[in-house]
Amino acid sequence: MAFDSHSQRDANGSYTFSSRPRPVENRSKYREPPSEQMQNYGNIMYDRRVVRGNTYAQHIIPTMVPPDPAETQRQQEIRRRAIARKRAREQFRSGTPEALQGRKHIDVQTELYLEELSDVIVAADIECQTDAFLDKPATPLFIPAKSGKDVETQIEEGELFDFDVEVQPLLEVLVGKTIEQSLEEVMEEEELASLRAQQRAFRELRKKELAEVHQLQEQERRRTEEKGHRIAQQKEVLKKEREVAEKIAARAYTQQYLADLLPTVFTSLRNHGYFYDPVEKDIETNFLPWLVVEVNNSLERRYTAREMLDTIIHDVAQKRLEGFKEPETQPAKPETQ
Amino acid sequence: MAASLIDPSRAPVAFGRRAVPQLFEELQQRPEAARRQRALNSLCDLMHDPERVYQTVTGGFLEQVKVLFQDEDADVRTKTCDLLHVLTSHSVGRQALLSSSLLPPLSQLLDDPSSSCRRSVHRVLKRLTLLPAGADALLTLVPKLMLKLRQEKEEEEVQALILSTLSSCSYQDPRPALANDGVSLLGHILSHRSTNIRRRRPSLMALSVCRDGKEQVCEQNLLPVLVGLLQDEDLEVQVNAVGVIMFTVTITTGKQQCLDLDVLPVLLDFVPKKKEEEEEQDEERRRRRKALVLYSLRALAALAEAPGGRHLLLEQLPVLEARTESEEDQDIRRSAQSAIHVITWTP
Repeated sequence: MAFDSHSQRDANGSYTFSSRPRPVENRSKYREPPSEQMQNYGNIMYDRRVVRGNTYAQHIIPTMVPPDPAETQRQQEIRRRAIARKRAREQFRSGTPEALQGRKHIDVQTELYLEELSDVIVAADIECQTDAFLDKPATPLFIPAKSGKDVETQIEEGELFDFDVEVQPLLEVLVGKTIEQSLEEVMEEEELASLRAQQRAFRELRKKELAEVHQLQEQERRRTEEKGHRIAQQKEVLKKEREVAEKIAARAYTQQYLADLLPTVFTSLRNHGYFYDPVEKDIETNFLPWLVVEVNNSLERRYTAREMLDTIIHDVAQKRLEGFKEPETQPAKPETQ
Repeated sequence: MAASLIDPSRAPVAFGRRAVPQLFEELQQRPEAARRQRALNSLCDLMHDPERVYQTVTGGFLEQVKVLFQDEDADVRTKTCDLLHVLTSHSVGRQALLSSSLLPPLSQLLDDPSSSCRRSVHRVLKRLTLLPAGADALLTLVPKLMLKLRQEKEEEEVQALILSTLSSCSYQDPRPALANDGVSLLGHILSHRSTNIRRRRPSLMALSVCRDGKEQVCEQNLLPVLVGLLQDEDLEVQVNAVGVIMFTVTITTGKQQCLDLDVLPVLLDFVPKKKEEEEEQDEERRRRRKALVLYSLRALAALAEAPGGRHLLLEQLPVLEARTESEEDQDIRRSAQSAIHVITWTP
């Protein structure tokens, strides 16, 4: 039974439960599980438990529970107790006191508007009965009285729907749209063609300008090259000129420097004795040294002689001295002279 | 039910906002090839509407397109590329394509065996380069594209597409193309028969904008070919040839070569106002003529820097002066004046 029921958590987390509708199973209150699986979900139309027909005046049949003795006893007990309770209640209820002797209690109405109370209900019987059905006679043809004028009308063949007239707007739309579309396409194509022509014209101009640019570039290049060459040439020229000037300056200076070189050279050479009179030179080189040497020699001889003389004199003097000294000891010394 | 299959080549489309998602879901379930093609057809039709493009892009359906790239049926792949082609016609689609990682698988499809698929891929790439960011992103593909061009087994239309893509990329950044020897390749293509191909010479002009490109142009002796192209009947080709010359004569070698080739008379021929120019009714042709005149004037001004050129042009001075006076258009007048200025410059 629980197999058909679904209980699940929703996306929001709320709990839902659903199960197929099923009739309640008849079970005792304190129950054992049912022995066999009853046909719980049979067709309600063929279920014997379901009451059929008019239920207004039906005698309520007690349920088909197998009479449980404990159950019946209990119910009898309940009934008895209910009766006892009722009796007890009636006993303790205080009703109106009994009427005094010779009097009688009568119910009286005390409302404003009295009404008649009686048990007898005024009833009248009325009967009626319909006649048996007779065949209905044929209704007479209803012909209303003629009023007004007779007017006729008839729709001819071409009047409701004239194809040519009707088709005109359709045709207009169709043809119009087609022509419009084709005109648009043609215009687009023409626009494209004119765009392309413009593009081409522009491109040609551009090519021409490009050629001009190239030419000018070439020109520039040639000019700069030319300029470069000329400048280089000029530099060369300048350099050469400078070299030449330097050379000239150097040459002048040298000339000037060397101008009195020659006399100086000669002077110095002369000073150094490179120019000589040969005889003089000869005399100088040969004769004079010899002469000097000879002179030297002779002088030397003289000196030697003088020295010898000096020595002799010295010796003599010495000896005399000694001789003079000795005479103090030997006074009789002959003077050697 | 019969009403929704009015067009048997298209899958039924749901109403309103449901249309695009429902078609993509159908594709995701991998039905058979025919149904996939129909669904893709309907999608292509729907994508013309910018609102749907936006819906596709923001709904993240581009991942599925990647799956469809590996589909085994060639038509389905072609149709997917067509779908992308329509998608890139709108800026939102282009940006989404760039920011999603669809470019590598798309570039793998370049080697697809089916030629129509390759053509669609090239169309997508060409459209993508309309956006500068797209051109940047495609720079890495440039070597591969050049390889394709070199192989020359593609049809003309594809070659034209590849050249357009390359030119847009080269405007962004010419270095990859130059590194891959672009100039010689394009010079080879110059002598191609078809006018269509020769028209795509803006790529050469783009390359010559960069200095190395100019030098390469001179080295590889493309100038004679260009001068020959000056005599071409088609106005576009003439304009482009003059454009390349205009860029090449800014460097000295270019000047020398041009003078050697005696370009001056030809250019001078373009300058004076011809009678048919005045009668020119077509706006378009008038504009192209104007470009021609502008470029020629510029090239003349550049050539006037060289002494030989100046000498020749001094004789032709009256022509230029005539042009200056009679011209209402500001740009032409200005360029003529600057040309005269250069010619009459004395140190």
